[in-house]
Amino acid sequence: MKLTVSHPSHIREGVTIKTIMWSKVAILAFISLLAVGMYATSSITLGLSALALVLVSVLAAVLTEAGIQKLTNQELTIKDGDAVLIGLIIALLLPPEDIKLWIPVVGAFFAVALVKHGFGGLGSTLFNPAIAAWVFMNMSWGMLTGSEYVSHLGSASYNILFLGSYSDIIIESGAVRFAEISSVFLIIGGLYLIYKKYIDWRIPLLYLSSTIIVAVIIGEELSYVITGMLFLGVFILAPDPTTSPITKNGRIIYGLLCGIMTVIYGYLTYNYVVAVLYTVFFANAVAPFIEKNTYPKPVNEVQS
Amino acid sequence: MTTEDVKKVKDKEVRKQVVIPLLQHIGTVCEPIVDKKTIVLIGQKIGEGDDEFSVPVHSSTAGHVVAIEERPHPICGSVPSVVIESDETDNTIEFKTSKNPSKEYIISALKDSGVVELNGYSLYNMLTSEKIIDTVLINLSFSGDVSSNCAPENIASIIEGMNLLIKASDAQQGVFIIQKNDKQLKSAIESGLFEEADIEIFTVEQNYSPSMANLLTYEITGMQIPNTCTPLDAGLLLSSAGSALAVRKAVLEGIPQITVNVTVTGAVHNPGVKNVGIGTSIKEVIDSCGGYSGEPGKIIMNGIFSGIALSSDEVPVIKSTCHIIVQSSDEVLHEIPGPCIQCARCVDVCPVNILPGRIASFADMGMHDECFKLHVNSCVECGLCVYVCPSSRHILQLIRYSKTVLQQLLKYEDETSSYGCLSCETPCLASTPYISNGGIL
Ligand code: SF4
Ligand code: SF4
Repeated sequence: MKLTVSHPSHIREGVTIKTIMWSKVAILAFISLLAVGMYATSSITLGLSALALVLVSVLAAVLTEAGIQKLTNQELTIKDGDAVLIGLIIALLLPPEDIKLWIPVVGAFFAVALVKHGFGGLGSTLFNPAIAAWVFMNMSWGMLTGSEYVSHLGSASYNILFLGSYSDIIIESGAVRFAEISSVFLIIGGLYLIYKKYIDWRIPLLYLSSTIIVAVIIGEELSYVITGMLFLGVFILAPDPTTSPITKNGRIIYGLLCGIMTVIYGYLTYNYVVAVLYTVFFANAVAPFIEKNTYPKPVNEVQS
Repeated sequence: MTTEDVKKVKDKEVRKQVVIPLLQHIGTVCEPIVDKKTIVLIGQKIGEGDDEFSVPVHSSTAGHVVAIEERPHPICGSVPSVVIESDETDNTIEFKTSKNPSKEYIISALKDSGVVELNGYSLYNMLTSEKIIDTVLINLSFSGDVSSNCAPENIASIIEGMNLLIKASDAQQGVFIIQKNDKQLKSAIESGLFEEADIEIFTVEQNYSPSMANLLTYEITGMQIPNTCTPLDAGLLLSSAGSALAVRKAVLEGIPQITVNVTVTGAVHNPGVKNVGIGTSIKEVIDSCGGYSGEPGKIIMNGIFSGIALSSDEVPVIKSTCHIIVQSSDEVLHEIPGPCIQCARCVDVCPVNILPGRIASFADMGMHDECFKLHVNSCVECGLCVYVCPSSRHILQLIRYSKTVLQQLLKYEDETSSYGCLSCETPCLASTPYISNGGIL
């Protein structure tokens, strides 16, 4: 008889990294498919290029991860879904129209090789790899990543025009990025993740509510502020486990910070879509600082 | 044959050769007071220590001593033990009964009968320490203890045990702690309590294992007791259902702690509650439950969240055993820990509000001073963080490792001064040797 001796606990809840990652992937994959379908209804070429964007981006991320782990003799961890998730988010952040397919390849390589594995792999990243890659792509090829609207040289009137018409195009096929296709499904997916305890409720709740409250206070039109990208940020990007603080109070502050920064950035640049991405990037950078200052006080700890 | 008879026969079958460890408590190992070949009777004292922290052990069977040697112990590796071969008789020593015991009588009866709490502390030491006890708490929220000892016919005895403890400690009141969803137990205790005015019932949400004592008292009284002290330092005597039964037996019937009730669950044919003698091997207990169903993979003592996985089924039942769980070999987890993804699920479940995953990572790197700064010693070893970790990190193992290292460092740094908040100046039970294993013994 062979008995196993191990430390407690002797049962597990059954939530693993895989379940968390793959359920996020499932939600985003569904949204990408929806987007591809919508683009395809407007024009077949657009639909095809959208599909190609998703596939190329995911494939590039996965291959990069596999290559790095092969080269450095690590165990292959493609199955945990993290690389797929990174690739998918990168695709969601890029406009499929006239996309040069080398852009997602470079972006995915940058995300996985430098931002993820360069910092020590899963669990050690400072920035969310997909967002960092997007920032990198945006800085380098702003015109090609469809973010000329954020360019500081761009004309303000154009931005307002774009955003004003945004509310009609949300259901139409004209969303610039995949992520903006369907807020509704992002919300449903996000609530599912919270219900399943795959993500914590604190960051989404505080991010969303503080965004709305601050926007109302400064008198901003809510239809500008609430975009599909905001929901992607609220439910997927900001609560990303590795890059958000682990302390409970830290997460509350982090959520508030994200909300406030999003409105400030959007208000100043007239672009609430890109505001989400830069905000989360910034919040990632200060997360360790927030964490350091919110270490909890244990129960039964008596100060001497 | 009634079921009662069947049980008695079973009990007898269970005892053939018993191995009684001379260490079943927190403190020093007892010296055997019998020799090889000595004939012993049920209830005869076979081991005793001369310092204040040792608790006598008694024979649970009648027979003769065949060996006094190191034998495997469920918790402490291997420990000097007395091996007694049963002669299949029921010869007992003469038990001294008592109808209306005085305080002194209760305390001396507890000293002789070696009643030990689930966490290994001796009740006698608790009662005779210089602390003033104002409340006696009996924890009926630990599922293993409750399922073994809180059968309806035992309720009256538990209440009697509570009354004896109150009398012995001069406490003002007694409190039964019951889990909120255990309505049945609550009504049973309530109906048993009709005339005792100074005994109350307090309901809690959680399942409090013995190692979570300070957390339990915090929930009940709001008093924060640092992890280096015990509830006793705050005037609370925390006991359990099993000990209450043992106290009653020891004082009123004069029978020392030689049997325990053990619940056997999991992959066995007839799971159930057994009354077994101390020193019976786990294998015999399981055989009395119909044997293993399927290939056993893991045997866990005292709770699936924080219990100890036994290295073999030859180890004996000891005074603090109350629950044996058998996992079949396909139920056993074989997970390879991954990296911590900082998901903070462990932080959200930790009842003492520390950062388990972070501490475990520091312990893994050997940075024990960082662990200390993050309050590693506050951990009550409930096992919840491991339960929820998506990466299957060995959090609790690493925390225990860090605690042990820190304790050695502290000892090394200052052999003489006690550590803790030092607000209590009298020597306290907390400075007894601390064994980092979930507080169970
Ligand atoms: S075992 Fe884990 S969850 Fe429980 S008290 Fe310790 S660190 Fe917290
Ligand atoms: S639950 Fe596990 S993976 Fe998550 S933060 Fe804690 S130790 Fe890390």
